[in-house]
Amino acid sequence: MNAAPSQPALALHGIDKSFGAVQALTGVELEIHRHEVVALVGDNGAGKSTLAKIIAGVLVPDAGIVESEGVPVTIPSPTAAHALGIATVFQDLALCDNLDVVSNLYLGRELRRGRGLDEATMEETARRVLADLNARVPSVRVPVSTLSGGQRQSVAIARTLLGDPRVVVLDEPTAALSVAQSAEVLSHILRLRDMGHAVILISHNMTDVRAVADRVEVLRHGRNNGSFSGQGSSYEEIIAAITGATTVAGRSPVPAGARGRTAR
Amino acid sequence: MEAVRRYGGLTQVELAEATGLSTATVSTIVKELTGAGVVETHPASRSGRRAQMVTLARRLGVVGAVQFGRRHLTVALGDPTREILAEQRMPLPVDHRVDTGLDRAALLVVELLERVGASTDELLTVGVALPAPVDQDTGMIAVQGVMRGWDGIHVGQVLSKRLARPVVVDNDANLAALAEHELGATRTHRDSIFVRASHGTGAGIVLGGRLHRGYAGTAGEIGHVQVDPSGPICRCGNRGCLETVVGSEALLALVRSSHGELTLRDLVQGAVDGDPGCRRVVADAGDRIGSVVAALATTLNPQAIVVGGELAETGDVLLGPFRESLRRHLVPNTIAPVEVLASELGPRAEILGALALALSATDMAADGLTVASSPSIEGDPT
Repeated sequence: MNAAPSQPALALHGIDKSFGAVQALTGVELEIHRHEVVALVGDNGAGKSTLAKIIAGVLVPDAGIVESEGVPVTIPSPTAAHALGIATVFQDLALCDNLDVVSNLYLGRELRRGRGLDEATMEETARRVLADLNARVPSVRVPVSTLSGGQRQSVAIARTLLGDPRVVVLDEPTAALSVAQSAEVLSHILRLRDMGHAVILISHNMTDVRAVADRVEVLRHGRNNGSFSGQGSSYEEIIAAITGATTVAGRSPVPAGARGRTAR
Repeated sequence: MEAVRRYGGLTQVELAEATGLSTATVSTIVKELTGAGVVETHPASRSGRRAQMVTLARRLGVVGAVQFGRRHLTVALGDPTREILAEQRMPLPVDHRVDTGLDRAALLVVELLERVGASTDELLTVGVALPAPVDQDTGMIAVQGVMRGWDGIHVGQVLSKRLARPVVVDNDANLAALAEHELGATRTHRDSIFVRASHGTGAGIVLGGRLHRGYAGTAGEIGHVQVDPSGPICRCGNRGCLETVVGSEALLALVRSSHGELTLRDLVQGAVDGDPGCRRVVADAGDRIGSVVAALATTLNPQAIVVGGELAETGDVLLGPFRESLRRHLVPNTIAPVEVLASELGPRAEILGALALALSATDMAADGLTVASSPSIEGDPT
């Protein structure tokens, strides 16, 4: 239940980030609670991936406050993000094709027993995590290169679950997948939500977004441009906010110089 | 067996991995099952090495089933013995679009055929379940506005054009009633009512062992029986329908101020976990649905009433007040009081019903094994 937990699992306030003359994010606000799927949508260059990278600790914001369960924190590195319980799956998945599923899941944090690796425990946990997701990966000992796009996405999502994260960030998880594979990934997202994780979903596909999101946050030219209920709002409202046909009341219009030049 | 069904098809080596058995054991089991005609093996290759692909045996082709819910789409393939060969569920948005939905359904059917290693020629027919009353003669939704944006679309025709196969369409509660009658809780009953309490509310009626759809498909539409003359306007255009009181939107609105924004699944889970607010909402819905079903049961006098749909997953939280309400409103029959049963097929009732409908549309005998068949309409596979 999202029975109004008092503190959001992660909150970002007034985030600014610029790359030289390009202002990628301006005063961005984002809150996410446990047991909630928040979709981050916007045009190319709206700042979605920049925001994801800030949450993942890849980029450091120029200004703004990040709070984890109400406590101000800084995320200077991906390791720090991991320690805060934030796991991110980027578009390229970052899997090693030549390694098998178990090795990919434990890449860089292999379990050890004595001098060797604790293969048995790793394999068992890998199976359990994949089963928790209802993932259809027949064998955990095949190289990742033999898996389909959807199965690779399943492995990448399963990897995030090993650290029992509070927040899972998924960057375009259904891009370039077939319909059956997208169906699988969307089901995983609902499963993550049911398991009590906070999920941030970045996607272009309005149908996918509205299928699983509890809340849709629109970014436009690096600024918040509206927050919509995933259940109550229509395609038209969200798309109007993405394209700028509607703007959030009280915000100044985007300066002409900033148009179409934001960096990723 | 379970592993083969779950993955649709997989090689013997993968099967050993998935089941935790040794490859030698798997090989022996597969040989035995092949001998018994339960599974089939096909030569395949995995990462350049030869392998044996194991799938469930399909002697007489496969039939497809598609279920559209308010928030999901399920596509399954089955064989003539009603065994589900492969299944995929996909979440859908509120008020999902008809063009996107039908397109995805068609693609999913084709992808599932690939998953079980079948060619498109092996597909015989497809049955479709919709959460709206369907007119059997025209195959269109009989009441305007019940599914936003789907009015005037000939669902069967659009899909059969895409798949080049005959497509039959029916209401989801009707198909669930059919499935429970053929395979589930009411196998031994002649007259039964299936009540589907989910995002919407509907009923399927089986009389004398046959599905009763009514002249234009709206029989059993209990969701649109008026329960509150001064209630809000329903999607169908009438006022104070049962669905405006126990539909998911109404139920979720009741907990919004106390629990925040929930989904129907959250509400059901909350009731199962013992959250008092969620239990109360579901229990009151059971009471309200019971009073409407009582009127239907008084008219039809069924042997049994089966309750299914998402709300029924709360078990006695829904069924207790439902039974109590029936007892108070139903004409007391001392000789043979009506039985109230939980759905045996659960969330799979609708998809199994769609499979049964698709099967009945082929010229195959009920047991499916004696008569060879061909699709009744030949078309170019696209």
